[in-house]
Amino acid sequence: MQDLFEGVRLVLAWDVLIAVLASAIYGLVVGSLPGLSATMATALLVPVTFYLSPIAAIATIITASAMAIFSGDIPGCLLRIPGTPASAAYTDEAYAMTRKGQAELALGAGLWFSAIGGIVGTISLVLMAPLLAEMALSFSTYEYFWLAFLGLMCATLVARSSPIKAIASMLLGLLFACIGMENPAGTPRFVFGITDLLGGIEPIPALVGVFAVSEVMRAMVTPEPPKLPDRKFGSILAGQWALTKKYQWPMWRGNIVGIIIGVLPGAGADMAAWVSYAMSKKWSKEPEKFGTGHVEGLVEAGASNNASLASGWVPALLFGIPGDTITAIAIGVLYMKGLNPGPTLFTERASSMYALYIIFVLANIIMIPLGILMIRLASKILKAPRSAVMPVIILLCAVGSYATGANLFSVLLVGVFGIVGYVMERNGYPVAALVLGIVMGSMVEQNFVTSLIKSDGSPLPFVERPVSAVLASLTLGALLWSAVVWVFNRARRLKATAAAR
Amino acid sequence: MQLSDRITGLFLAGLGLAAAWGGSRLPAVPGQDVGPAAFPMVIGGGLVLCGVMIAFGIGHSFEVPDEDAETGFRFRDLRVLVPPGLLLFYVLAVERLGFMLTAFFIVGTAAVALGARPRLALPLAVGAPIFIHAVFAKLLRVPLADGILPALW
Repeated sequence: MQDLFEGVRLVLAWDVLIAVLASAIYGLVVGSLPGLSATMATALLVPVTFYLSPIAAIATIITASAMAIFSGDIPGCLLRIPGTPASAAYTDEAYAMTRKGQAELALGAGLWFSAIGGIVGTISLVLMAPLLAEMALSFSTYEYFWLAFLGLMCATLVARSSPIKAIASMLLGLLFACIGMENPAGTPRFVFGITDLLGGIEPIPALVGVFAVSEVMRAMVTPEPPKLPDRKFGSILAGQWALTKKYQWPMWRGNIVGIIIGVLPGAGADMAAWVSYAMSKKWSKEPEKFGTGHVEGLVEAGASNNASLASGWVPALLFGIPGDTITAIAIGVLYMKGLNPGPTLFTERASSMYALYIIFVLANIIMIPLGILMIRLASKILKAPRSAVMPVIILLCAVGSYATGANLFSVLLVGVFGIVGYVMERNGYPVAALVLGIVMGSMVEQNFVTSLIKSDGSPLPFVERPVSAVLASLTLGALLWSAVVWVFNRARRLKATAAAR
Repeated sequence: MQLSDRITGLFLAGLGLAAAWGGSRLPAVPGQDVGPAAFPMVIGGGLVLCGVMIAFGIGHSFEVPDEDAETGFRFRDLRVLVPPGLLLFYVLAVERLGFMLTAFFIVGTAAVALGARPRLALPLAVGAPIFIHAVFAKLLRVPLADGILPALW
């Protein structure tokens, strides 16, 4: 109980409250601008978190990401352009509602069910994390190796791309992580005589490069999105309670699916929204209405993507394994602020964990009034021309990456990763898998090499302990799943061609 | 910059080979069977395998086609190189010119490249550096270079 009061005291500090409010506004604005994703909003915040207290730093990440995921719904609903990838699943549906004159209902559902999803996700985090922490205390390097490997495999499994390209992206990320001396032997690898590379590739320049610079590069060659016409909105929250009662079951299903996908290492809010929208359509009593402006899918997927945000913190806090790209950034901030992820975080720094839970709830509560304000101002904010927003982003990329270590080499890395990210995306290689590879590289190698040394080169101890055996079979299952689907699809196609002849 | 799967696949396979070869030449740790070479060799092997499979088009059927996929090369597509070029310029120029002038040039060029008229690009190129300098150098104490045009505060 004392830890809970201490947590409340930590959150009520003036710097934390200002950080929550400022990052909420920042997240809402950035998330609503098409092309600027929640991950990019978070990555650009990291340099600022360097200069904040630990709780204020974590508060900015939590609040900005939650707000950005919701406000990505706004341009999706009004312009048919998703503000963040997490809104893409139901953009067509929301836009169809706008065309039917139900923009308020669609935006209100996005806001209301996002907030509910966020709070349910937080409750799952509060309940699940301490239980898993006790179990995780007995984990050895074998379990950690399989967990990290499973996280990487999940990232490739859920990518909406060729699984082989996703695995290649992940391996490329791991190869980048090999650069430098940060390996168990302390040997400089792949540094090519460049002293700046001895310290390895920091995740932040890589993240800023692949998520922000590549987006500015993309903006250079794609046409500007259409401007939003001025419009007056009616009541945003009217009818939401009735929707909550009517679609109670889909809402809970969305929450639960979001939580499960969030906890899976590597799979994040966008995947949660896609899966939940598809499930909503499949189990709906009125599937024929989907695509014509039906709110049910929005209820389920809107709750799901915000629920996954909170539960994505479970593997991040417990094992240092990111639940998605946002928590990949958060892990870096946690280490930087001395809140090293691991099961002991819940025993030794319990008050900080309570503070984190309170911030999650707070962020989802203030989302409602701020979200309504944002929706009302959307037509003004979305008028900002891309040629005014993107130049500031590119300058922020340069200054922000420089601020992380007062080193100009980071700025150069940002540019290089911008090109890498752009080329990869244009050719169907998912960049999220690359980023997870970079973030988790040293952890995977550390546990792989230590386990190999412990086992004297024998593979048996990797699967001897019960938990490691389960994790190993899950990982191999994830690996084989894609192969099975590929073989199945190919056989079906061959059969169809044979039948056509 | 859309390349065929054959090109990207073969590039990855080549990179994997180079990584495995580079890894195999790393010095071993005395008394240990597993050294710094193990991980790059495993990754290199994986990349070779994936690269070859991509080059042969395996798994292509899973891909969602890109809606705004470009066809052919147009000269104006070279504009994609403006953002990384501006970052390179920042690295080379900021210590000599100082943050203000470098940032003015970066914001102005990026705005013009994105089609902004001078009446938007100019005030943006003057205002954005002042605002960002105020936040980073004053509030966050990031040591931004003064160069030949120090900030007035």
